[in-house]
Amino acid sequence: MLTEFGKIFVFILLAAVFVVVAIFASKLIRPARPTKEKLLTYECGENPEGSPWIKFNIRFYVVALIFLIFDVEVVLLFPWALAYKDYGLSGFLVGAIFLLVLGLGMAYEWRKGDLEWARPVINPPVIKKQPYVKEVASQISADDNQTVLQDQEI
Amino acid sequence: MKSLLDQEFTDGNIVIAKTEDLLNWARLSSLWQLGFGLACCAIEMMATSASHYDFDRFGVIPRPSPRQADIIIISGTVTLKMATRIKRLFEQMPEPKYIISMGSCSNCGGPYWQHGYHVLKGIDRVIPVDVYVPGCPPRPEALLEGLLKLQEKVRNESLVKKTL
Amino acid sequence: MKTREEIFNILKQEFPQDVLEFQNIPTEPIITVNPLAIHRVCLFLRETAGLEFDTLMCLSGVDDANGEKTNDPDGSVTIKGGTLSVYYHLHSMKLDHKVTLRVSTPREDPEAESVESIWKCADWHEREAYDMIGIIFLHHPDLRRILMPYDWDAGYPLRKDYKNPEFYQGMKVPY
Repeated sequence: MLTEFGKIFVFILLAAVFVVVAIFASKLIRPARPTKEKLLTYECGENPEGSPWIKFNIRFYVVALIFLIFDVEVVLLFPWALAYKDYGLSGFLVGAIFLLVLGLGMAYEWRKGDLEWARPVINPPVIKKQPYVKEVASQISADDNQTVLQDQEI
Repeated sequence: MKSLLDQEFTDGNIVIAKTEDLLNWARLSSLWQLGFGLACCAIEMMATSASHYDFDRFGVIPRPSPRQADIIIISGTVTLKMATRIKRLFEQMPEPKYIISMGSCSNCGGPYWQHGYHVLKGIDRVIPVDVYVPGCPPRPEALLEGLLKLQEKVRNESLVKKTL
Repeated sequence: MKTREEIFNILKQEFPQDVLEFQNIPTEPIITVNPLAIHRVCLFLRETAGLEFDTLMCLSGVDDANGEKTNDPDGSVTIKGGTLSVYYHLHSMKLDHKVTLRVSTPREDPEAESVESIWKCADWHEREAYDMIGIIFLHHPDLRRILMPYDWDAGYPLRKDYKNPEFYQGMKVPY
């Protein structure tokens, strides 16, 4: 007789077999007409620039990890929220302590600066505020004036 | 080894006929489209996808990548600059692939047919079109009609090589 | 707030040689300026107290098509001589007055000074005027085509004597 874990093992086996059979069958059946264009990296029709294998900022992993923790937290809290009244004060306290520990961890992370993102420095365009120099300008325009006359003839 | 659908059969029999019926039925009921809007026709295309006209009931779901798409709806004015991109997107779609040319602009240049220095006069100059949907822009019903025509076309496809 | 005539008089006093003409058209009075001095005039318009034009509303290139026209046998037109113009529509948010400037450049050598350093929004406007009409803006930081493809070599599409190319990258262009 199968144990409970044995049933899970059968499920895993079935899943693996299904995937392998599906991939193999589609390989047999599907039309495969690769061309150079088709195998190109997809970049919305643009010419692909550079390699798609680029480094990601390590901070993405921190954020992903925190997300995972709070995701799992919600999974645990939903059944707790449905049932804590049946367990009275002790049931409530268990959940509260769990939340407190998570909150403390979050606060620790925040305090340590792991949530700080290296933000890009934005340089707004600076428009030159130079004072208008009359002497120089009129001198240059005197030089340019000859071109103006030519323009006017045309 | 050539895969099954890359081979061409010279004469049909009951097995091939039934297989192609199954294949055609599967294909025409799940024509996933490449999410691709060009101009005002794209607004009508979105309206068709939305709940009132519900493209989804014909199995048309917008996909974000050409690798997962079966049809591309050229919805709007195709500029010369865009035409090269459309060609590449079309070529990146896996076979079998179909094209619906939606609206006058992509059919033949539309209002830009004479003075549109930047407009490709008909997307069929670049990629082969299956169904032309007239209109400027076509109403969602017209696009649905175009899709039904395309389904008809897919239904009549055959694995057997045609002899002339 | 100043009328355009007042603005013209101030400019004429400041740039007697570069500010050329005042056309008092009822709908849109236009001040004509030397194309190689437009950046100085514009800087003056922006910086002077009482004028303070802080906004460039629009910058448009125009083919005046006032040259010598010859009809080619294939139905197209060739224009020799004449001018290409750029119009600057300025507005002062602070003082709520407007002015229209124009520079005219010869068709064979269309060069005007860029005002990109004065109003940043002129950057793309000038690129568009370059792309469509073919006016070259001197001292523009990045004068490339903006709407047409970078490898477009059939000329400037909004000129009156523009001829459609037969093909672009293997695609037939005419109907």
